[in-house]
Amino acid sequence: MKQFSYTLIISISHLFVCYIDAFAASAEKSVIRVNTTMQAFSLIQPWEKGAASTRLGLGAVLPNNKVLVTAQMVTDATYIELEKPDSSEKTTAKVLTVDYEANLALLEPLNDKNFLSDREPFLLNEKLSPSDELEAWQFESNGTPVSTKITVSKAEVRKSFLDTSNFLQVQANGPVQYRSGSFTLPVAKNKKLAGLLVSYSSKDQISSILPTSIIKHFLKDIENGEYTGFPNLGIMYSQTLDEQFRQYLKLGKDDGGVFVSKVIEGASASGNLKSGDVILEINGNKIDSRGNYDDKVWGKLKFGNLVRGIPFTGDIIEMEIIRKGERMKVSFELIRRPTEDYLIDPYMFDRGPKFSIIGGLVFQELSVPFLKLFGNDWRTRAPIKLLMAHANPEMYEKQGNRKLVIMTRTIPTPATLGYERLSTLIVTKINGVPVKDIKDVHEASKSPIGGQHRIEFESYPKLIFLDASLSSRLNKALEQRIGITQRLD
Amino acid sequence: MKHLFLYLSLNLLISCIAYAEEKNNSNYEAVVRIENSSLNPDYKTPWNSGRDSGGNGTGWLVAENKFLTNAHVVSNSRIVYIKKVGDAKPYRARIVHIAHDCDLAMLELEDPAAFEGVKPFDVGTLPQLDTTVKVIGYPIGGERISITSGVVSRIDFLSYSHTSVDLHLTVQIDAAINPGNSGGPVIQGGKVVGVAFQGYSGNIAQNTGYMIPPPVIKRFLKDVEDGNYDHYVDLSMSDFPLLNPSQRIALGLPNDGIGIMVSNVEEDGSAGGILKTGDVLLEIDGLTVKSNGLINYGGEDVNMNEIVERKFAGDVIDLKIWRNKQPMNKRVTLKRFMPYLIAARKYDEKPRYVMFAGLVFQPLDRNLMAAHNMKSLQVRYHFDSYVSSNIYKERPEVIVLTSILPDSINSYFNQFTQSIVDKVNGITVKNLKDVHSALSKNDGDYIVINLLGNGRPIVIEKSKIEEAQKRIQSKYNVINDNYLGPIE
Repeated sequence: MKQFSYTLIISISHLFVCYIDAFAASAEKSVIRVNTTMQAFSLIQPWEKGAASTRLGLGAVLPNNKVLVTAQMVTDATYIELEKPDSSEKTTAKVLTVDYEANLALLEPLNDKNFLSDREPFLLNEKLSPSDELEAWQFESNGTPVSTKITVSKAEVRKSFLDTSNFLQVQANGPVQYRSGSFTLPVAKNKKLAGLLVSYSSKDQISSILPTSIIKHFLKDIENGEYTGFPNLGIMYSQTLDEQFRQYLKLGKDDGGVFVSKVIEGASASGNLKSGDVILEINGNKIDSRGNYDDKVWGKLKFGNLVRGIPFTGDIIEMEIIRKGERMKVSFELIRRPTEDYLIDPYMFDRGPKFSIIGGLVFQELSVPFLKLFGNDWRTRAPIKLLMAHANPEMYEKQGNRKLVIMTRTIPTPATLGYERLSTLIVTKINGVPVKDIKDVHEASKSPIGGQHRIEFESYPKLIFLDASLSSRLNKALEQRIGITQRLD
Repeated sequence: MKHLFLYLSLNLLISCIAYAEEKNNSNYEAVVRIENSSLNPDYKTPWNSGRDSGGNGTGWLVAENKFLTNAHVVSNSRIVYIKKVGDAKPYRARIVHIAHDCDLAMLELEDPAAFEGVKPFDVGTLPQLDTTVKVIGYPIGGERISITSGVVSRIDFLSYSHTSVDLHLTVQIDAAINPGNSGGPVIQGGKVVGVAFQGYSGNIAQNTGYMIPPPVIKRFLKDVEDGNYDHYVDLSMSDFPLLNPSQRIALGLPNDGIGIMVSNVEEDGSAGGILKTGDVLLEIDGLTVKSNGLINYGGEDVNMNEIVERKFAGDVIDLKIWRNKQPMNKRVTLKRFMPYLIAARKYDEKPRYVMFAGLVFQPLDRNLMAAHNMKSLQVRYHFDSYVSSNIYKERPEVIVLTSILPDSINSYFNQFTQSIVDKVNGITVKNLKDVHSALSKNDGDYIVINLLGNGRPIVIEKSKIEEAQKRIQSKYNVINDNYLGPIE
């Protein structure tokens, strides 16, 4: 079964370096079952976790005792298990690195360092192009490998796991019958890893594949030491298809260009691009008026791939732009704005929501997962002031807010008499101290005024009071009942 | 009849109830059927005259040739007829006063001859709980007069669904209220003690009809004495009950159940600059305010707003408040607070708009929200927070680009519908007239329209506009390209 590979690419990652006698992969020896138990924290009652669930998928075995899976396989995991499909031998695994935005995670066995020594690690096949024949590898429940042939059709820059992150994805056509326990599937080309199949539409028989270019970026970033993640440009833009608008911007006939409509503080473009600029070219690639560049392999792709998918943080990006009617070149360093810096956390995995309870009033930092509690149509059903803060965080960032603290709900206690109906209120001050994140709530709760906590909200009822000594007694009682009354980190 | 169902976002309906006991002194001749033909504007096509509709209700003679009914019976009226009991002939009437905020209207006949000798009703006093009343009117189920009866089951301060933003004293009676009863008199001891006006539709609650009680009727009659209706006035603040012992301790109040905390105070309202958040209202015109907001007025516990309710613009109200643990006296001169009206259903107004190069601009209000099924967060936020976030101070009118009449001049503009206009050619837009005048200015090569929350402006080449405007007006049958309101 083993085939010797002679075109070894050492530079991909040091994970591969020590792997001199490389083998080509095979389904039964290079793909491994990954079984995870996941349990997310409750956002309504942040002191507790919801019900546990399991997720079964497949990972790609990589050199040096590592396994690659999608991030969504391991988010909120309480227990991860690797299982050899042929022998059903199992071991516990841990997450080494996870990137929720790129939807990738690297695992390794927790204790058994030799668990994967009888496997045949994948090499990466980097050259993916339209009409390639790929094989999706999975197993019957009895361990028999199943290989399904699919054909690459095109690539697009689109979201995969999180609605906020767009990355290159390859689409392939052909029926894929999901076998038991196949949440994500490794896909191979010429027995080398070509990507991870992340979704499949049985209606259209289209598979979406996270390609090796993104996987390679992820692995290389790990190899470089501290994982920094993919850079983000941090702009909002609009197309320049309208001829009147093009003339107004003094765009030439041969120019494409996208119009920068907003620059987000703290990301790469901040201080380097301005609202009103038109981006004509990025690193020598012309950007058309729809926002696409011409990729050598895939044809037209959204320019996001040039600023996020290909480069690393710390790389210098060069752009040709038009600013106030004048053509100019700008170059700046790409950085990644850390998720923690967002006023409203766009996602929250593997940790509990930050909260603090005072006498029955529950304070939390607003997050997108909290807004999503309002249902699929949360964008219309969630409280408007919270949605507005989500859409325009600068409204609060300007006031020095690191986070937006809201009083999410009231647990009826003797201290909260009369406040039972109050919920989802934006908190401005507690005991005279401006509240800019959850730690402020905790700090301010230490200094009640005349034995009473004074809590101020942005909107009705604006001001309430809470008996401080009664509150701390109730907090102790609550702690008995629910375990903890705060989580600040 | 459809007319009467039109306005029920909550559950308004009309009822009439009668009782045979007082038959002999029932003055049926003074109870009339009112038939209204209305023209209801369409805020989606504001240039059109609107849709014809109609309905009927009940009215009653309150003085010589003065009939009282509900405002909602004769809203958006084009033609009104009054019919007398036992007389098939419709008599042409006209609206003298219409008070949407308390759902009352006064009509008169062009020729009063038919009612000569008919005795008008007297308006009585607030009926007591658990006393019998009868309702006279012309509800569905037949053409002729109908009489039903019930008892007074509750007296409360409730929302009037005609505008949906106004709250006044309301009396609940235990008889079903039906379409057509609207505006009809509720009688006790031969006097009118209420005007039937709304009820619950569907199966939410049974036997709950509501009537407008004498204090509200008398206030309306007094208000129009000078020939004009001047509307209700408002303290323009919100309050929060002091039920939690900690609130009282923190504010330094004794635990005596007296006082209600001031929450929001609208800066431009009557109490703006006089009251502030955290003040406690202790007394209103000498009457003690309890911590649930009630006062004892004429032996009854009523909402403290009852004091404000009976006053008129320019009247003063004396408050005893508690601030910084000290009592102090404040005097508030009452006035209307117009920004509240953004949330009110409006009637008898032609929709205002500007249509420019196919772009339709309209001022934001409740009618607009309802007609356009507004989904945009910016628009919903401005509607919702217009008062609470003081948006009214910066933008007295919030101008929305509601729709686009497709044409080659605007073919890439669809993404901009349901946006709020920030600036036109650099001028910040504060009302619809600003939009109109900024668009008509003739300098520069482009019209540039900046929208709130969107860095990408709308850009229109000036040289193409004149022709496009003509083309669009004729293609979409827009007779006038703007209506900015009645000429002042």
